[in-house]
Amino acid sequence: MLITVEDLKKVYKSYQRGSSFGETLKSLFVRKPIYIEALKGISFRIDQGELVGFLGPNGAGKSTTLKILTGILYPSSGKVDIMGYTPWRDRKKYVAKIGAVFGQKSQLLWDIPPIDAFYLNKAIYAIPEREFKRTMEYMVELLDVEGQIRKPTRQLSLGERMKCEFIMAMLHKPEIVFLDEPTIGLDVIAKDKIRKFILKMNQRGVTFILTTHDLGDIEHLAKRVIVINHGELVFDDALPALRRQLGEKKIIAVTTIHPLPALDRPGITVTNRISTYQVELELDLTAFPLNEFIALVNKSSTIRDLSLREPQIEDVIKVLYQAR
Amino acid sequence: MRTNLRIYLAGVKTALASRMAYRGDYFLSILIMLLVEMAAPLITILIYENGASFPGWSMYEALLIQGVFLLGKGIAYPFFFGIVWNTVERVRGGAFDLLMIKPKSALFMAIVTGFDAEDLGKLIGGATLFTLALRRLPPPGVGEWLQFLALFLITLLTLFAYGVTLAGIGIVWIGNIRVYDIFNSLTNFGLYPAAIFSKPVQTVITGIIPIAILGSVPATVLLGRPSPGTWRAVGVSFLFLAGSLSFWRAMLKKYTSAGG
Repeated sequence: MLITVEDLKKVYKSYQRGSSFGETLKSLFVRKPIYIEALKGISFRIDQGELVGFLGPNGAGKSTTLKILTGILYPSSGKVDIMGYTPWRDRKKYVAKIGAVFGQKSQLLWDIPPIDAFYLNKAIYAIPEREFKRTMEYMVELLDVEGQIRKPTRQLSLGERMKCEFIMAMLHKPEIVFLDEPTIGLDVIAKDKIRKFILKMNQRGVTFILTTHDLGDIEHLAKRVIVINHGELVFDDALPALRRQLGEKKIIAVTTIHPLPALDRPGITVTNRISTYQVELELDLTAFPLNEFIALVNKSSTIRDLSLREPQIEDVIKVLYQAR
Repeated sequence: MRTNLRIYLAGVKTALASRMAYRGDYFLSILIMLLVEMAAPLITILIYENGASFPGWSMYEALLIQGVFLLGKGIAYPFFFGIVWNTVERVRGGAFDLLMIKPKSALFMAIVTGFDAEDLGKLIGGATLFTLALRRLPPPGVGEWLQFLALFLITLLTLFAYGVTLAGIGIVWIGNIRVYDIFNSLTNFGLYPAAIFSKPVQTVITGIIPIAILGSVPATVLLGRPSPGTWRAVGVSFLFLAGSLSFWRAMLKKYTSAGG
Protein backbone atom coordinates (compact mmCIF):
# COMPACT_ATOMS: atom_id res chain seq x y z
CA MET A 1 0.00 0.00 0.00
CA LEU A 2 1.42 3.39 -1.03
CA ILE A 3 -0.76 5.64 1.12
CA THR A 4 -2.44 4.70 4.39
CA VAL A 5 -4.52 7.26 6.26
CA GLU A 6 -6.07 6.27 9.58
CA ASP A 7 -8.48 8.28 11.68
CA LEU A 8 -7.08 11.62 10.56
CA LYS A 9 -8.37 14.60 12.52
CA LYS A 10 -7.66 18.28 12.29
CA VAL A 11 -9.08 20.96 14.54
CA TYR A 12 -8.44 24.64 13.77
CA LYS A 13 -8.64 27.35 16.37
CA SER A 14 -10.27 30.51 15.15
CA TYR A 15 -11.74 33.59 16.75
CA GLN A 16 -15.29 34.82 16.61
CA ARG A 17 -16.38 38.42 16.64
CA GLY A 18 -19.48 40.30 15.62
CA SER A 19 -19.70 42.77 12.79
CA SER A 20 -20.92 45.84 14.68
CA PHE A 21 -18.55 48.68 15.61
CA GLY A 22 -18.84 47.88 19.32
CA GLU A 23 -18.08 44.20 18.77
CA THR A 24 -15.12 45.06 16.55
CA LEU A 25 -13.76 47.39 19.24
CA LYS A 26 -14.28 44.72 21.90
CA SER A 27 -12.44 42.16 19.76
CA LEU A 28 -9.31 44.31 20.03
CA PHE A 29 -9.08 43.26 23.66
CA VAL A 30 -11.18 40.11 24.08
CA ARG A 31 -11.67 37.44 21.46
CA LYS A 32 -13.83 34.38 21.77
CA PRO A 33 -12.03 31.30 20.48
CA ILE A 34 -13.94 28.79 18.40
CA TYR A 35 -12.74 25.37 17.37
CA ILE A 36 -13.47 24.12 13.88
CA GLU A 37 -13.31 20.39 13.19
CA ALA A 38 -12.02 20.37 9.62
CA LEU A 39 -11.44 16.60 9.62
CA LYS A 40 -13.36 14.27 11.88
CA GLY A 41 -11.34 11.09 11.56
CA ILE A 42 -11.03 10.01 7.94
CA SER A 43 -9.36 6.79 6.82
CA PHE A 44 -8.49 5.48 3.38
CA ARG A 45 -5.78 3.62 1.46
CA ILE A 46 -4.35 4.24 -1.97
CA ASP A 47 -2.29 1.81 -4.04
CA GLN A 48 0.64 2.66 -6.26
CA GLY A 49 -0.37 3.80 -9.74
CA GLU A 50 -3.91 4.78 -8.78
CA LEU A 51 -5.53 7.97 -10.01
CA VAL A 52 -7.92 9.03 -7.29
CA GLY A 53 -10.37 11.89 -7.48
CA PHE A 54 -10.89 13.75 -4.26
CA LEU A 55 -14.23 15.54 -4.16
CA GLY A 56 -16.11 17.65 -1.70
CA PRO A 57 -17.92 20.98 -1.47
CA ASN A 58 -16.07 24.12 -0.39
CA GLY A 59 -14.96 23.83 3.23
CA ALA A 60 -15.48 20.05 3.30
CA GLY A 61 -11.90 19.36 4.40
CA LYS A 62 -10.36 18.11 1.19
CA SER A 63 -7.69 20.82 0.98
CA THR A 64 -6.84 20.26 4.64
CA THR A 65 -6.42 16.55 3.87
CA LEU A 66 -4.23 17.37 0.89
CA LYS A 67 -2.11 19.77 2.97
CA ILE A 68 -1.58 17.14 5.64
CA LEU A 69 -0.69 14.54 3.01
CA THR A 70 1.87 16.91 1.46
CA GLY A 71 3.49 17.65 4.85
CA ILE A 72 2.33 21.28 4.94
CA LEU A 73 0.08 20.92 7.98
CA TYR A 74 0.32 18.96 11.18
CA PRO A 75 -2.87 17.00 11.96
CA SER A 76 -4.46 17.14 15.43
CA SER A 77 -4.38 13.35 15.57
CA GLY A 78 -4.34 10.30 13.34
CA LYS A 79 -1.84 8.28 11.37
CA VAL A 80 -0.55 8.78 7.84
CA ASP A 81 1.97 6.52 6.18
CA ILE A 82 3.08 7.38 2.66
CA MET A 83 5.92 5.32 1.18
CA GLY A 84 7.02 4.63 4.76
CA TYR A 85 7.10 8.30 5.72
CA THR A 86 4.95 10.39 8.04
CA PRO A 87 4.61 13.56 5.95
CA TRP A 88 4.83 16.19 8.69
CA ARG A 89 7.55 14.38 10.63
CA ASP A 90 9.77 13.27 7.72
CA ARG A 91 8.84 16.25 5.56
CA LYS A 92 12.17 16.96 3.86
CA LYS A 93 12.88 13.36 2.82
CA TYR A 94 9.27 12.74 1.96
CA VAL A 95 8.56 15.76 -0.25
CA ALA A 96 11.59 14.90 -2.42
CA LYS A 97 9.45 12.00 -3.69
CA ILE A 98 6.23 13.87 -4.29
CA GLY A 99 5.08 16.67 -6.53
CA ALA A 100 2.22 19.12 -6.18
CA VAL A 101 0.32 21.44 -8.48
CA PHE A 102 -1.89 24.03 -6.89
CA GLY A 103 -4.22 25.60 -9.43
CA GLN A 104 -4.37 28.80 -7.45
CA LYS A 105 -0.78 29.07 -6.21
CA SER A 106 1.98 29.38 -8.74
CA GLN A 107 5.44 27.93 -8.36
CA LEU A 108 6.60 29.92 -11.38
CA LEU A 109 8.17 33.35 -11.06
CA TRP A 110 6.02 36.07 -12.53
CA ASP A 111 8.63 38.28 -14.19
CA ILE A 112 11.02 35.69 -15.54
CA PRO A 113 10.59 32.76 -17.94
CA PRO A 114 9.45 29.35 -16.62
CA ILE A 115 12.78 27.83 -17.65
CA ASP A 116 14.51 29.91 -14.94
CA ALA A 117 12.12 28.51 -12.35
CA PHE A 118 12.81 25.00 -13.73
CA TYR A 119 16.53 25.59 -13.13
CA LEU A 120 15.80 26.69 -9.56
CA ASN A 121 14.00 23.37 -9.01
CA LYS A 122 16.92 21.56 -10.62
CA ALA A 123 19.15 23.02 -7.91
CA ILE A 124 16.67 22.36 -5.08
CA TYR A 125 16.15 18.71 -6.04
CA ALA A 126 19.80 18.25 -7.11
CA ILE A 127 18.76 16.85 -10.48
CA PRO A 128 21.76 15.89 -12.67
CA GLU A 129 22.06 18.10 -15.77
CA ARG A 130 21.50 15.32 -18.35
CA GLU A 131 18.50 13.91 -16.52
CA PHE A 132 17.05 17.38 -16.06
CA LYS A 133 17.33 18.20 -19.74
CA ARG A 134 15.91 14.85 -20.81
CA THR A 135 12.91 15.14 -18.48
CA MET A 136 12.28 18.78 -19.33
CA GLU A 137 12.45 18.19 -23.09
CA TYR A 138 10.11 15.19 -22.82
CA MET A 139 7.51 17.15 -20.85
CA VAL A 140 7.85 20.30 -22.91
CA GLU A 141 7.13 18.24 -26.03
CA LEU A 142 4.26 16.35 -24.41
CA LEU A 143 2.61 19.57 -23.25
CA ASP A 144 3.54 21.47 -26.41
CA VAL A 145 5.14 24.50 -24.74
CA GLU A 146 8.46 24.71 -26.63
CA GLY A 147 7.79 28.33 -27.57
CA GLN A 148 6.59 29.38 -24.14
CA ILE A 149 9.19 28.30 -21.60
CA ARG A 150 11.56 31.12 -22.55
CA LYS A 151 8.98 33.91 -22.39
CA PRO A 152 8.35 35.81 -19.13
CA THR A 153 5.65 34.01 -17.17
CA ARG A 154 3.47 37.12 -17.08
CA GLN A 155 3.20 36.98 -20.90
CA LEU A 156 1.79 33.44 -20.91
CA SER A 157 -1.85 32.46 -21.06
CA LEU A 158 -3.40 30.67 -18.07
CA GLY A 159 -3.29 27.37 -19.95
CA GLU A 160 0.37 27.78 -20.88
CA ARG A 161 1.22 28.71 -17.31
CA MET A 162 -0.58 25.68 -15.94
CA LYS A 163 1.29 23.39 -18.34
CA CYS A 164 4.55 24.90 -17.07
CA GLU A 165 3.36 24.36 -13.47
CA PHE A 166 3.07 20.65 -14.31
CA ILE A 167 6.60 20.56 -15.66
CA MET A 168 7.83 22.39 -12.55
CA ALA A 169 6.12 19.85 -10.29
CA MET A 170 7.36 16.79 -12.15
CA LEU A 171 10.95 17.55 -13.13
CA HIS A 172 12.27 15.53 -10.20
CA LYS A 173 10.16 12.52 -11.26
CA PRO A 174 7.91 12.25 -8.20
CA GLU A 175 6.21 8.96 -7.37
CA ILE A 176 3.05 10.68 -6.17
CA VAL A 177 1.60 13.93 -7.47
CA PHE A 178 -1.05 15.91 -5.62
CA LEU A 179 -3.19 18.09 -7.85
CA ASP A 180 -5.35 20.79 -6.33
CA GLU A 181 -7.78 22.09 -8.96
CA PRO A 182 -5.26 21.86 -11.79
CA THR A 183 -7.68 22.78 -14.56
CA ILE A 184 -9.40 25.72 -12.88
CA GLY A 185 -10.23 28.44 -15.39
CA LEU A 186 -8.78 26.62 -18.39
CA ASP A 187 -10.37 26.36 -21.84
CA VAL A 188 -11.37 22.97 -23.23
CA ILE A 189 -8.24 22.59 -25.37
CA ALA A 190 -5.87 23.29 -22.48
CA LYS A 191 -7.91 21.02 -20.18
CA ASP A 192 -7.73 18.22 -22.72
CA LYS A 193 -3.97 18.58 -23.11
CA ILE A 194 -3.42 18.53 -19.36
CA ARG A 195 -5.76 15.58 -18.83
CA LYS A 196 -3.89 13.62 -21.53
CA PHE A 197 -0.61 14.51 -19.84
CA ILE A 198 -1.88 13.26 -16.46
CA LEU A 199 -3.09 10.00 -18.03
CA LYS A 200 0.24 9.51 -19.80
CA MET A 201 2.17 10.05 -16.56
CA ASN A 202 -0.23 7.75 -14.72
CA GLN A 203 0.44 5.03 -17.31
CA ARG A 204 4.13 5.44 -16.47
CA GLY A 205 3.35 4.53 -12.83
CA VAL A 206 2.89 7.94 -11.22
CA THR A 207 0.15 7.97 -8.58
CA PHE A 208 -2.14 10.99 -8.78
CA ILE A 209 -4.46 12.40 -6.16
CA LEU A 210 -6.68 14.93 -7.76
CA THR A 211 -8.77 17.50 -5.93
CA THR A 212 -11.19 19.30 -8.16
CA HIS A 213 -14.61 20.85 -8.56
CA ASP A 214 -14.52 20.06 -12.27
CA LEU A 215 -16.42 16.80 -12.62
CA GLY A 216 -15.12 16.56 -16.17
CA ASP A 217 -11.68 15.96 -14.67
CA ILE A 218 -13.11 13.17 -12.54
CA GLU A 219 -14.95 11.54 -15.45
CA HIS A 220 -11.94 11.75 -17.74
CA LEU A 221 -9.26 10.81 -15.25
CA ALA A 222 -10.30 9.17 -12.01
CA LYS A 223 -10.90 5.47 -11.69
CA ARG A 224 -11.70 5.85 -8.02
CA VAL A 225 -13.45 8.65 -6.17
CA ILE A 226 -13.24 9.72 -2.55
CA VAL A 227 -15.88 12.21 -1.40
CA ILE A 228 -15.43 14.22 1.78
CA ASN A 229 -18.19 16.28 3.32
CA HIS A 230 -18.25 18.10 6.67
CA GLY A 231 -14.85 16.60 7.48
CA GLU A 232 -16.06 13.02 7.02
CA LEU A 233 -15.49 10.50 4.30
CA VAL A 234 -18.88 9.89 2.70
CA PHE A 235 -17.90 7.84 -0.33
CA ASP A 236 -14.89 5.82 -1.41
CA ASP A 237 -15.28 3.55 -4.41
CA ALA A 238 -14.89 3.24 -8.17
CA LEU A 239 -16.52 5.80 -10.46
CA PRO A 240 -19.34 3.48 -11.73
CA ALA A 241 -20.29 2.79 -8.08
CA LEU A 242 -20.62 6.53 -7.57
CA ARG A 243 -23.20 6.63 -10.37
CA ARG A 244 -25.11 3.79 -8.75
CA GLN A 245 -25.37 5.82 -5.54
CA LEU A 246 -28.66 7.23 -6.73
CA GLY A 247 -30.05 3.77 -7.30
CA GLU A 248 -31.31 2.32 -10.61
CA LYS A 249 -32.36 5.56 -12.18
CA LYS A 250 -32.67 6.89 -15.72
CA ILE A 251 -33.09 10.41 -16.94
CA ILE A 252 -35.80 10.45 -19.62
CA ALA A 253 -36.94 13.11 -22.07
CA VAL A 254 -40.22 12.27 -23.75
CA THR A 255 -42.29 14.03 -26.43
CA THR A 256 -45.80 12.83 -27.33
CA ILE A 257 -48.34 13.43 -30.09
CA HIS A 258 -51.29 13.85 -27.68
CA PRO A 259 -51.17 15.55 -24.24
CA LEU A 260 -49.19 13.61 -21.64
CA PRO A 261 -51.00 11.60 -18.95
CA ALA A 262 -50.71 12.45 -15.24
CA LEU A 263 -47.23 11.44 -14.11
CA ASP A 264 -47.53 11.87 -10.35
CA ARG A 265 -46.75 8.28 -9.46
CA PRO A 266 -44.21 6.66 -7.16
CA GLY A 267 -40.88 6.27 -9.00
CA ILE A 268 -41.45 9.17 -11.39
CA THR A 269 -40.00 12.60 -10.61
CA VAL A 270 -40.75 15.26 -13.18
CA THR A 271 -37.75 17.59 -13.35
CA ASN A 272 -38.86 19.83 -16.21
CA ARG A 273 -42.34 20.09 -17.71
CA ILE A 274 -41.65 21.87 -21.01
CA SER A 275 -45.23 21.66 -22.38
CA THR A 276 -48.24 19.39 -22.21
CA TYR A 277 -46.51 17.26 -24.89
CA GLN A 278 -42.94 17.37 -23.65
CA VAL A 279 -41.39 16.53 -20.28
CA GLU A 280 -38.08 15.62 -18.66
CA LEU A 281 -38.15 13.26 -15.70
CA GLU A 282 -36.18 10.92 -13.49
CA LEU A 283 -37.38 7.35 -13.42
CA ASP A 284 -36.57 5.02 -10.55
CA LEU A 285 -36.53 1.63 -12.25
CA THR A 286 -36.90 -0.29 -9.02
CA ALA A 287 -40.25 1.41 -8.35
CA PHE A 288 -41.45 1.87 -11.92
CA PRO A 289 -39.97 -0.40 -14.64
CA LEU A 290 -39.21 1.22 -17.98
CA ASN A 291 -41.63 -0.95 -20.00
CA GLU A 292 -44.46 0.03 -17.66
CA PHE A 293 -43.56 3.70 -18.07
CA ILE A 294 -43.60 3.40 -21.88
CA ALA A 295 -46.93 1.55 -21.71
CA LEU A 296 -48.36 4.26 -19.45
CA VAL A 297 -47.41 7.07 -21.83
CA ASN A 298 -48.43 5.19 -24.99
CA LYS A 299 -51.80 4.28 -23.52
CA SER A 300 -53.20 7.80 -23.69
CA SER A 301 -50.71 9.72 -25.81
CA THR A 302 -48.49 8.19 -28.51
CA ILE A 303 -44.73 8.65 -28.05
CA ARG A 304 -43.15 10.79 -30.79
CA ASP A 305 -39.64 10.85 -29.33
CA LEU A 306 -37.96 9.39 -26.26
CA SER A 307 -34.36 9.70 -25.07
CA LEU A 308 -32.76 7.90 -22.17
CA ARG A 309 -29.56 8.59 -20.32
CA GLU A 310 -27.73 7.74 -17.09
CA PRO A 311 -27.95 10.31 -14.29
CA GLN A 312 -25.05 12.74 -14.56
CA ILE A 313 -22.27 12.40 -12.03
CA GLU A 314 -23.12 15.95 -11.02
CA ASP A 315 -26.55 14.78 -9.81
CA VAL A 316 -24.97 12.12 -7.64
CA ILE A 317 -22.41 14.52 -6.23
CA LYS A 318 -25.15 17.02 -5.42
CA VAL A 319 -26.96 14.40 -3.34
CA LEU A 320 -23.75 13.47 -1.50
CA TYR A 321 -22.88 17.12 -0.84
CA GLN A 322 -26.33 17.94 0.46
CA ALA A 323 -26.39 15.00 2.87
CA ARG A 324 -25.63 16.06 6.43
CA MET B 1 26.61 22.46 2.20
CA ARG B 2 27.69 22.66 -1.44
CA THR B 3 24.19 21.78 -2.63
CA ASN B 4 22.69 24.42 -0.34
CA LEU B 5 25.11 27.03 -1.66
CA ARG B 6 24.15 26.06 -5.21
CA ILE B 7 20.45 26.39 -4.33
CA TYR B 8 21.07 29.74 -2.66
CA LEU B 9 22.94 31.06 -5.71
CA ALA B 10 20.16 29.83 -8.00
CA GLY B 11 17.72 31.76 -5.76
CA VAL B 12 19.85 34.90 -5.96
CA LYS B 13 20.05 34.54 -9.74
CA THR B 14 16.28 34.28 -10.15
CA ALA B 15 15.67 37.16 -7.71
CA LEU B 16 18.10 39.39 -9.62
CA ALA B 17 16.58 38.36 -12.95
CA SER B 18 13.09 39.17 -11.59
CA ARG B 19 14.22 42.55 -10.32
CA MET B 20 15.99 43.36 -13.60
CA ALA B 21 12.62 43.18 -15.34
CA TYR B 22 12.09 46.68 -13.91
CA ARG B 23 15.61 48.08 -14.14
CA GLY B 24 14.80 51.79 -13.80
CA ASP B 25 12.81 51.25 -10.62
CA TYR B 26 15.55 49.01 -9.27
CA PHE B 27 18.36 51.54 -9.62
CA LEU B 28 16.17 54.32 -8.23
CA SER B 29 15.31 52.12 -5.23
CA ILE B 30 19.00 51.45 -4.57
CA LEU B 31 19.73 55.18 -4.68
CA ILE B 32 16.88 56.00 -2.28
CA MET B 33 17.97 53.21 0.06
CA LEU B 34 21.50 54.61 0.05
CA LEU B 35 20.27 58.11 0.92
CA VAL B 36 17.99 56.86 3.70
CA GLU B 37 20.80 54.80 5.23
CA MET B 38 23.08 57.81 5.26
CA ALA B 39 20.69 59.84 7.47
CA ALA B 40 22.16 58.69 10.81
CA PRO B 41 25.83 59.29 9.85
CA LEU B 42 24.92 62.72 8.44
CA ILE B 43 23.29 63.65 11.76
CA THR B 44 26.44 62.46 13.55
CA ILE B 45 28.58 64.66 11.30
CA LEU B 46 26.25 67.61 11.93
CA ILE B 47 26.51 67.08 15.71
CA TYR B 48 30.30 67.08 15.61
CA GLU B 49 30.52 69.96 13.07
CA ASN B 50 28.52 72.07 15.53
CA GLY B 51 30.92 71.48 18.39
CA ALA B 52 28.87 68.80 20.21
CA SER B 53 29.94 65.15 20.50
CA PHE B 54 29.26 61.71 21.96
CA PRO B 55 31.35 62.07 25.13
CA GLY B 56 34.60 60.15 24.86
CA TRP B 57 34.26 59.35 21.16
CA SER B 58 35.76 61.18 18.19
CA MET B 59 33.62 61.76 15.11
CA TYR B 60 35.35 59.02 13.09
CA GLU B 61 35.09 56.56 15.97
CA ALA B 62 31.34 57.24 16.16
CA LEU B 63 31.10 56.93 12.37
CA LEU B 64 32.97 53.62 12.46
CA ILE B 65 30.42 52.24 14.94
CA GLN B 66 27.65 53.36 12.62
CA GLY B 67 29.57 51.94 9.65
CA VAL B 68 29.77 48.53 11.33
CA PHE B 69 26.06 48.68 12.22
CA LEU B 70 25.07 49.61 8.65
CA LEU B 71 27.48 47.07 7.14
CA GLY B 72 25.89 44.35 9.27
CA LYS B 73 22.42 45.31 8.15
CA GLY B 74 23.76 45.82 4.60
CA ILE B 75 24.82 42.17 4.50
CA ALA B 76 21.82 40.85 6.41
CA TYR B 77 19.03 42.63 4.55
CA PRO B 78 19.72 41.53 0.98
CA PHE B 79 21.13 38.10 1.76
CA PHE B 80 18.95 36.65 4.52
CA PHE B 81 16.75 39.19 6.25
CA GLY B 82 14.26 38.86 3.38
CA ILE B 83 12.85 35.89 5.31
CA VAL B 84 10.77 38.40 7.26
CA TRP B 85 8.82 39.95 4.36
CA ASN B 86 8.94 36.75 2.34
CA THR B 87 7.36 34.78 5.19
CA VAL B 88 4.82 37.46 6.13
CA GLU B 89 3.64 37.89 2.52
CA ARG B 90 3.63 34.19 1.70
CA VAL B 91 1.73 33.25 4.85
CA ARG B 92 -0.87 35.93 4.19
CA GLY B 93 -1.32 34.90 0.54
CA GLY B 94 -1.07 31.15 1.11
CA ALA B 95 2.12 30.76 -0.95
CA PHE B 96 4.11 29.66 2.10
CA ASP B 97 2.77 26.17 1.28
CA LEU B 98 5.02 26.17 -1.77
CA LEU B 99 8.10 26.41 0.46
CA MET B 100 6.86 23.50 2.55
CA ILE B 101 6.71 21.14 -0.42
CA LYS B 102 10.42 21.54 -1.17
CA PRO B 103 12.87 18.99 0.25
CA LYS B 104 14.72 21.59 2.30
CA SER B 105 13.97 23.34 5.57
CA ALA B 106 11.22 25.94 5.24
CA LEU B 107 13.58 28.48 6.79
CA PHE B 108 16.25 27.82 4.20
CA MET B 109 13.69 28.03 1.41
CA ALA B 110 12.44 31.34 2.85
CA ILE B 111 16.03 32.62 2.66
CA VAL B 112 16.57 31.29 -0.88
CA THR B 113 13.38 32.86 -2.21
CA GLY B 114 13.74 35.99 -0.07
CA PHE B 115 16.91 37.50 -1.56
CA ASP B 116 16.26 41.22 -1.76
CA ALA B 117 18.33 42.80 -4.51
CA GLU B 118 17.11 46.30 -3.59
CA ASP B 119 18.76 46.13 -0.18
CA LEU B 120 22.16 45.97 -1.85
CA GLY B 121 21.92 49.78 -1.48
CA LYS B 122 22.28 49.29 2.28
CA LEU B 123 25.39 47.18 1.72
CA ILE B 124 26.99 49.83 -0.50
CA GLY B 125 26.17 52.53 2.10
CA GLY B 126 27.48 50.49 5.04
CA ALA B 127 30.67 49.42 3.25
CA THR B 128 31.38 52.99 2.12
CA LEU B 129 30.90 54.50 5.59
CA PHE B 130 32.95 51.73 7.24
CA THR B 131 35.86 52.21 4.81
CA LEU B 132 35.81 56.02 4.97
CA ALA B 133 35.73 56.10 8.79
CA LEU B 134 38.42 53.43 9.10
CA ARG B 135 40.78 55.37 6.81
CA ARG B 136 40.66 58.34 9.19
CA LEU B 137 41.57 56.23 12.23
CA PRO B 138 44.83 54.57 13.29
CA PRO B 139 45.04 51.21 11.47
CA PRO B 140 44.00 48.27 13.68
CA GLY B 141 46.42 45.39 14.27
CA VAL B 142 45.98 41.81 13.02
CA GLY B 143 44.68 40.67 16.44
CA GLU B 144 42.08 43.43 16.48
CA TRP B 145 40.97 42.51 12.96
CA LEU B 146 40.59 38.85 13.89
CA GLN B 147 38.59 39.70 17.01
CA PHE B 148 36.48 42.09 14.99
CA LEU B 149 35.77 39.48 12.30
CA ALA B 150 34.74 36.93 14.92
CA LEU B 151 32.43 39.44 16.62
CA PHE B 152 31.07 40.68 13.31
CA LEU B 153 30.14 37.11 12.44
CA ILE B 154 28.16 37.07 15.70
CA THR B 155 26.58 40.41 14.64
CA LEU B 156 25.34 38.69 11.48
CA LEU B 157 24.12 35.65 13.43
CA THR B 158 22.25 37.99 15.79
CA LEU B 159 20.61 39.76 12.85
CA PHE B 160 19.73 36.35 11.48
CA ALA B 161 18.14 35.49 14.84
CA TYR B 162 16.12 38.72 14.71
CA GLY B 163 14.98 37.83 11.18
CA VAL B 164 14.00 34.30 12.23
CA THR B 165 12.06 35.65 15.23
CA LEU B 166 10.19 38.24 13.17
CA ALA B 167 9.44 35.68 10.46
CA GLY B 168 8.24 33.22 13.11
CA ILE B 169 5.89 35.86 14.49
CA GLY B 170 4.65 36.40 10.91
CA ILE B 171 3.55 32.75 10.72
CA VAL B 172 1.00 33.05 13.52
CA TRP B 173 0.45 36.79 13.77
CA ILE B 174 -0.56 37.06 10.16
CA GLY B 175 0.14 40.25 8.24
CA ASN B 176 1.57 42.11 11.21
CA ILE B 177 4.48 44.17 9.96
CA ARG B 178 4.53 46.59 12.91
CA VAL B 179 6.81 44.22 14.82
CA TYR B 180 9.39 45.10 12.20
CA ASP B 181 9.08 48.80 13.12
CA ILE B 182 9.58 47.91 16.78
CA PHE B 183 12.67 45.91 15.80
CA ASN B 184 14.02 48.85 13.81
CA SER B 185 13.48 51.36 16.61
CA LEU B 186 15.06 49.07 19.20
CA THR B 187 18.10 48.17 17.15
CA ASN B 188 18.77 51.82 16.32
CA PHE B 189 20.36 51.99 19.79
CA GLY B 190 23.14 49.98 18.15
CA LEU B 191 24.06 52.96 15.99
CA TYR B 192 25.75 54.65 18.93
CA PRO B 193 28.58 53.75 21.32
CA ALA B 194 26.99 51.72 24.13
CA ALA B 195 29.06 53.67 26.66
CA ILE B 196 27.15 56.93 26.02
CA PHE B 197 23.98 55.44 27.52
CA SER B 198 23.12 55.23 31.23
CA LYS B 199 24.23 52.09 33.07
CA PRO B 200 20.78 50.42 33.10
CA VAL B 201 20.38 50.99 29.33
CA GLN B 202 23.88 49.65 28.74
CA THR B 203 22.98 46.53 30.72
CA VAL B 204 19.82 46.02 28.72
CA ILE B 205 21.36 46.50 25.26
CA THR B 206 24.45 44.47 26.05
CA GLY B 207 23.37 41.74 28.39
CA ILE B 208 19.62 41.28 27.91
CA ILE B 209 18.56 42.27 24.39
CA PRO B 210 21.40 41.79 21.89
CA ILE B 211 21.61 45.30 20.44
CA ALA B 212 25.12 46.54 21.27
CA ILE B 213 26.50 43.49 19.43
CA LEU B 214 25.06 44.95 16.22
CA GLY B 215 27.55 47.85 16.11
CA SER B 216 29.22 49.04 19.25
CA VAL B 217 30.67 45.71 20.48
CA PRO B 218 32.53 44.66 17.29
CA ALA B 219 33.49 48.25 16.36
CA THR B 220 35.05 49.05 19.74
CA VAL B 221 37.23 45.95 19.44
CA LEU B 222 38.48 47.25 16.10
CA LEU B 223 39.15 50.60 17.77
CA GLY B 224 41.24 48.88 20.42
CA ARG B 225 38.88 49.84 23.27
CA PRO B 226 36.58 46.83 23.81
CA SER B 227 33.20 47.54 25.40
CA PRO B 228 32.65 46.27 28.92
CA GLY B 229 30.44 43.19 28.85
CA THR B 230 31.61 41.97 25.42
CA TRP B 231 31.58 38.31 26.47
CA ARG B 232 28.16 38.71 28.01
CA ALA B 233 26.91 40.23 24.74
CA VAL B 234 28.33 37.24 22.84
CA GLY B 235 26.65 34.78 25.20
CA VAL B 236 23.30 36.56 24.94
CA SER B 237 23.57 36.53 21.13
CA PHE B 238 24.06 32.76 21.04
CA LEU B 239 21.20 32.23 23.45
CA PHE B 240 19.03 34.48 21.30
CA LEU B 241 19.99 32.54 18.17
CA ALA B 242 19.13 29.21 19.78
CA GLY B 243 15.87 30.65 21.11
CA SER B 244 14.90 32.10 17.74
CA LEU B 245 15.38 28.75 15.98
CA SER B 246 13.26 26.95 18.58
CA PHE B 247 10.66 29.68 18.27
CA TRP B 248 10.58 29.27 14.48
CA ARG B 249 10.08 25.51 14.77
CA ALA B 250 7.27 26.00 17.27
CA MET B 251 5.57 28.57 15.02
CA LEU B 252 5.94 26.31 11.99
CA LYS B 253 3.98 23.62 13.82
CA LYS B 254 1.21 26.15 14.32
CA TYR B 255 1.09 27.07 10.62
CA THR B 256 -2.47 26.81 9.39
CA SER B 257 -2.05 27.75 5.70
CA ALA B 258 -4.59 29.96 3.97
CA GLY B 259 -7.86 29.11 2.26
CA GLY B 260 -8.62 25.98 0.31
